Amino acid sequence: MPSGQTIIDSVTQEIIEGKLVATVDEMGIVMARTSMSPVIYEVLDFACGLLTADGELVAQMNGITLFTGTFGVQVKALIAQFGGRLADGDVLLTNDPYTGGTHACDFAIVKPLFVDGEILAYAINVAHYLDVGGSVPGSLAPDATSVFQEGLRLPGVKVMRADAFCDEILHILAANVRMPQIALGDLNAQIATVRVAGRRMAELAAKYDADVVKAAFAHLLASSEASARAAILALPDGVYTATDVIDGDGVTDAPIDVTVTITIAADRIIADFTGCPPAVAGPINCARGALQSAVKTIVKALIDPQAPSNEGWFRPLDVLCPPGTVFTAEKPSPTGWYYEGSVHASELLWKALAPLKPGRFSAGSYSSLCVVYISGRDDTGAPFIHIEPQHGGWGATPDEDGAGALIALTDGDTYNYSVEVIEARFPLRVRRYALNVEGGTGAGRRRGGFGIIREYEVLSTEASAYASFGRTKTLPWGVDGGAEGTANRLEIERHAGGLDVHGRVAHLDIARHDIVRIVTGGGGGWGDPKRREASRIARDVRDGLVARELALDVYGYEEAAS
Amino acid sequence: MIRLATDVGGTFTDLVGYDERNGRLFTAKSLTTTQDQSEGVLNAISASEAADGLATRDVTFFAHGGTTVINAITERKGVRTALVTTAGFRDVLEIGRGNRPDLYNLQFKSPEPFVPRHLRFEVRERMDAGGTVVLPFEEADLAPIIAACRAERIEAVAILFLHSYANPLHEEICVRLLAAALPEATVCASHAVSRQWREYERSNTVVLNAYVQPIIQRYFERLERALMARDLTCPYYAMQSNGGISTFDQATARPLTLVESGPAGGVAGAACIGRILGESEVLHLDVGGTTAKCSLIHEGRPTLNVDYKLEHTRIAPGHPVQVPVVDIVEIGSGGGSIARIDTQGRLRVGPESAGSSPGPACYGRGGTRPTLTDALVAIGIFDPDSFAGGTMRLDVAKASEAIASIAGPLAMSVEDAALAIIEIAHASMINALKLVTVQRGHDPRDSVFIISGGAGPALASRLGRDLAVKATIVPPHSGIFSAWGMLAAEPRADFRSTWFAPLSHEALAALAERFSGLEKEAATYFAKDEDVPIRFLYQVEARYRGQEHGVFVGFSAGDTVESFSERLHAAHERAYAFRLTTTPVEITTMHLEAVLEGPVITLPAQSPAGRTLDAAVKGERRVYFGKETGWLPCPVYDRLALPIAQDILGPLLVEEATTTSLVQPGQLLSLTENGIMVIREAGRGAR
Repeated sequence: MPSGQTIIDSVTQEIIEGKLVATVDEMGIVMARTSMSPVIYEVLDFACGLLTADGELVAQMNGITLFTGTFGVQVKALIAQFGGRLADGDVLLTNDPYTGGTHACDFAIVKPLFVDGEILAYAINVAHYLDVGGSVPGSLAPDATSVFQEGLRLPGVKVMRADAFCDEILHILAANVRMPQIALGDLNAQIATVRVAGRRMAELAAKYDADVVKAAFAHLLASSEASARAAILALPDGVYTATDVIDGDGVTDAPIDVTVTITIAADRIIADFTGCPPAVAGPINCARGALQSAVKTIVKALIDPQAPSNEGWFRPLDVLCPPGTVFTAEKPSPTGWYYEGSVHASELLWKALAPLKPGRFSAGSYSSLCVVYISGRDDTGAPFIHIEPQHGGWGATPDEDGAGALIALTDGDTYNYSVEVIEARFPLRVRRYALNVEGGTGAGRRRGGFGIIREYEVLSTEASAYASFGRTKTLPWGVDGGAEGTANRLEIERHAGGLDVHGRVAHLDIARHDIVRIVTGGGGGWGDPKRREASRIARDVRDGLVARELALDVYGYEEAAS
Repeated sequence: MIRLATDVGGTFTDLVGYDERNGRLFTAKSLTTTQDQSEGVLNAISASEAADGLATRDVTFFAHGGTTVINAITERKGVRTALVTTAGFRDVLEIGRGNRPDLYNLQFKSPEPFVPRHLRFEVRERMDAGGTVVLPFEEADLAPIIAACRAERIEAVAILFLHSYANPLHEEICVRLLAAALPEATVCASHAVSRQWREYERSNTVVLNAYVQPIIQRYFERLERALMARDLTCPYYAMQSNGGISTFDQATARPLTLVESGPAGGVAGAACIGRILGESEVLHLDVGGTTAKCSLIHEGRPTLNVDYKLEHTRIAPGHPVQVPVVDIVEIGSGGGSIARIDTQGRLRVGPESAGSSPGPACYGRGGTRPTLTDALVAIGIFDPDSFAGGTMRLDVAKASEAIASIAGPLAMSVEDAALAIIEIAHASMINALKLVTVQRGHDPRDSVFIISGGAGPALASRLGRDLAVKATIVPPHSGIFSAWGMLAAEPRADFRSTWFAPLSHEALAALAERFSGLEKEAATYFAKDEDVPIRFLYQVEARYRGQEHGVFVGFSAGDTVESFSERLHAAHERAYAFRLTTTPVEITTMHLEAVLEGPVITLPAQSPAGRTLDAAVKGERRVYFGKETGWLPCPVYDRLALPIAQDILGPLLVEEATTTSLVQPGQLLSLTENGIMVIREAGRGAR
């Protein structure tokens, strides 16, 4: 009877790697199907992973790019914090932004997975909680100036011991958040996922022996590292730079200049953010963990986008940045809207590296998740909070027009919210959900994709909104003669008359029948628009995506008489 | 009187007939005709007439499974389709859900919609989530749409209005007006295909339904004419994706229900074998040439997939459709799957397949790359001389040569490399089998494991042992199991609708009333009086307040809040390992499964005469079981002569025309009186 031991390593290796991916995917399914927060179950704003006993990521579900680099930093911080004081049946909780985390809303649940009294691996689940307390419902005040306004922080606590909940932690949590039943439901869902991981890893260790599993982890990391080094070696050595502007921090509209210098030397990449400004007053700062994620996302895109991700791919990478900058914020700088900052770190690399491998990149995109919070009480008096990241236009590639209405780089397998489901759940009516054709896109031989327009009519008397939109002034870049894309904006059309336009806004009172209109921008173009093929222009005109005048003015296209 | 089924697959069209008068079985194969699949069907019938004397005038029941619907979709060869939708929402079909599962691909694009923007039209109208009219239907908006459809020579129109699952009034008005104005087009409204919420998923469902409707209509018309010309006049049924059958007319109204027609036949067959064995929990695996498909039968019924997506992968969002489809997990490991060494030095098997041309290296048709079939030949499981009933001689040298191409770089012997290929295919099958069982809260140890397909029985006993199933089953006709399964399927319809209410005494009473309304709908669907034997199954999706996704649990008219809650808690705990007993419960969806009871195929008792171990022995072959065990001599038996109800200790091989089964050392094989092979672990004793 054939068995694992008789088969040489590469076979066992392949089998164990398949099992790792199956396990993180299973964790994801359990989370999506049992969570209580729309932002988790509908929008899928969470991710799961498996790490070695040293805290090196070996497998990650298809969730969100933001967590690409945070898992390892978070777990390593917990290992340092707890040392040998971890026991079988412990489950840890952390949401500290400064020790590898992101913002207080992201709760990381980490379970050490013991086999024969020794830690074989860690399972992690990070999910965005609907509300963790703080100064505003949803916990993300766009004008917060300190982390103390952004809700409860639990920086590495045992939420379970010996597989039983620690009631004190649950009481603290329930007392400090606005919707405790949802928070506790989501905590249960997260814990279910890390337990699933525990069972699967135990099965693996029972079948192949824990030492074989550990060897497979090491081999996986080493072979990914080797692939990464080979890919980097094939790139031309040199120093590449880019600059960008962040449109305001939520407290002021002042532009924030950011920069990167990338050095490719043989099989290494160094991304140096020295020269970026100190942390700003408002919450678009990110801490070092999120910076790591932002950089790794683009390095993975450059090297091998489809291969399953793990820490090995990033061993040839160094990220340099002095402490206390907008990308390496420290306590008590606010980080609530950290992804509005960290996306620019990604885009700096993206912009700088695109010429090295145009087949892997696109022109600039709408970038900002354009998250809007609408909260209040419905006509029965029940409170509601509706959070939603918005989709937008991506840049063109050398071969194809940009993607329309796609989620921004910082998220990933992130869905928009069903109109029918929203209307059944919240006192909101969606009046329109369409491609933002009137806003246009960056023209080019290949044009950018279109953003979206989403209009909410508010159907409750007690409501307010806040939002933080980036790329409201600094437009998505074009490449190789392609034009820049278009801007994001939030409009409020008052039932009583009047229209106001916003980007990052801390508080808006909303009256019944007021309209909240979310408008996201189109991506940048690639190549000279005058070189665009007539058939493509004709198709855009026919589909109502490009007006005839625009076709003539920008693309030099005159329709044949018809 | 003969019941006849034909299953059109990628390469072959299989035919199975069963004469109810004498239990006689007819089987035939013809090459699939891709242009018009009905030709291949008629060729198979001709072949059976010529070889076995099938008399078409004796056929009283005809079931048909095919790939016309799925092919039209995957090849983008549907008709010119328009979409009419609520004003403000024509881009919903193109926007989709906007997710980017290919996380690090900065050139990712969502799949193209099946209706381009200039053929998506808007009408002013609006319902709210409760089904109340917010804005009346604006009939005047249709005039320019009708003109455009005529000018664009539209062949099918799909209609999707928001919240039509709650109130279909506006869709009904629109269908009536458009059907009258566009007599040359088919017109299809979303509520007629799905009563579930989520506008993108329902749009996509109605659009794909419209996109293939004229094609399936013309196909069935052609097939009917041809069958009648052959004197084969009886009710014609199509195999549906839900594991049941429907008349051609019913299928034409909702062609998307045929999307997974072929694999569903195998699932129906597995449910039938389970019934014959008295087993309600069945795990089924069908190993084809390119892929393996697995599914679960729970409480005697195939499990349905709650969110089925066409063309979905880990990195592609695919096209979700809201039609009942048996929950099939498909993986890229089949008999023709090619083994290779990747850039990181790892051995991979599939998803690339040698198919039937050139086929595995051992076929000797020019294939040089090693496949799973080559591996099975190299370690002695497949006999080069008796493969496919001796119709095709396999080339062992070519198989070994192909495997040597990977054995060298792996520094292995040919037989170890062959075993490694099998090991990897085996592991991905185990992952898929666990996906439909363990990950859905079912324990494979409670199930029997039925395996079919050409290469399936060669792998069955190993898989069964690793899963620790109650027994591993190799059914008769394993190589044509989908077609056989169609004869085991009954007419079935599923009525699923979104209906939201907090759990209460009143809500349960309202549910009971709504279900009896659906029962009447079912009776009308089958066009039968209410006293015909329709078997109903009542299921309700419920969740904890705050959750979006629920779990399906049974419902009975006598349910109380307590009894229903307890059932939900138990189901939730089984699926997700926790229960929230203090959180209020909400009902979101009701599902009525209606099955029209009728005769189905049975497996006649085999005569014990002439069946002895000695009569069954054909010879002996050495099979490689790995470095530790080495090569073991295995007796080779002929399935048709195996004695009934006699335990035979492995290792051994059993051969039949379409496949070969391997029984591991330490396992017992026994043949039931119906000719089903049952493999159990020797230590655990027989039941």
